Amino acid sequence: MNIAWNDNAPIYRQLKERVVGMMLDGLLKSGDALPSVRQIAADYQLNPITVSRAYQELADEALVEKRRGLGMYVTDGARDKLLSSERERFLREEWPAMIERIKRLGLDIEQLLRSANTGSAQ
Amino acid sequence: MNAVISAKGLSKRYGNSVAVDNISFEIPAGRIIGLIGPNGSGKTTTLKAALGLIPFDGELKVLGKDPRTERDELMKDVCFIADVAVLPRWLRVSEAVDFVAGVHPKFDRKKAERYLAHTKLKPSMKVKEMSKGMIVQLHLALVMAIDAKLLVLDEPTLGLDILYRKQFYQNLLEDYFDENKTIIVTTHQVEEIEHILSDLMFIREGKIVLSATMDEVGERFVEVMVPAANIEAAKALKPIDERLIFGKAIMLFDGVPRAQLAELGETRNPGIADLFVATMKGTYA
Repeated sequence: MNIAWNDNAPIYRQLKERVVGMMLDGLLKSGDALPSVRQIAADYQLNPITVSRAYQELADEALVEKRRGLGMYVTDGARDKLLSSERERFLREEWPAMIERIKRLGLDIEQLLRSANTGSAQ
Repeated sequence: MNAVISAKGLSKRYGNSVAVDNISFEIPAGRIIGLIGPNGSGKTTTLKAALGLIPFDGELKVLGKDPRTERDELMKDVCFIADVAVLPRWLRVSEAVDFVAGVHPKFDRKKAERYLAHTKLKPSMKVKEMSKGMIVQLHLALVMAIDAKLLVLDEPTLGLDILYRKQFYQNLLEDYFDENKTIIVTTHQVEEIEHILSDLMFIREGKIVLSATMDEVGERFVEVMVPAANIEAAKALKPIDERLIFGKAIMLFDGVPRAQLAELGETRNPGIADLFVATMKGTYA
């Protein structure tokens, strides 16, 4: 298996983001098991420490939990928790930046919103 | 005695030329260390010293033992795959397994056979009928079945195609490596293993020029795309390397805070290959 990692963030964070993405997309649901550290390390050719660190951060944020002897599982309510924190982050960081860019390009926000609602770009 | 290998003032000369020049380093357990250097920089000599294959000067302990005097004892816990590893051409797979089972107390025959079952190797096959990739698979099957504390890989994937190379590291990570084992690997294909490593050692002309964990490497080294207006300011921070692309300078810094560099231009983490080229500049000049 091959993933292109980018050069701007540590690999463990990119791996974590990937898992978070899978939770948001509903590919990993509450109660689902995460693949073992060893499996991920082998499949993605990563040091096991890198994988453990990504899992540890997910556990610290209570998105996954360790079940002794069994591995990591997605917690109840992980997706809701993620959705609310991601929404908050979008409104705090991405949306203001986007508005800034829309203004700089001289686009009409109202026009954009209308076309977004009708599903066409023009 | 936590260090798997500890070297103090290790030196090795061949006649008048110094292959390893007074190096000191420590390798803790549970790590995967990349020993990276140009041809003739002293990688193989260092490994040979650790394996007790050559005499040397200075102090060197491997798993707490002196490879010069306690080699037999040491070899129960150390495995080795060399790029020049030679198996007799007439040897059959089954004979190779029998042999290692006979000489090595920590060899698990079932494990070797299980691994071989996943390859195209048949017990009756002779080494002379095998491709280069298959010979490495046989080596790996024998070595992975030994419960050793230290595995030394000297250019293990040299001359193999990319499928065999990926498979090789995948097997190691899936079936072999754990926090009680340590792997030292030398290779010229650094991009392929950079995410597998936990530690990096660069060796040049017999000296260690960089020894750091991958975390430290990520923190210390930053590459910046510097626009023309900031070039003077950036140069004042003493980049260790620079090159020009599309009128922008790509500069590599060692130990300059990332926040400070971000003001000069877009930053990114350099790959090991970039670091290597920057560090080894002028080696063959």
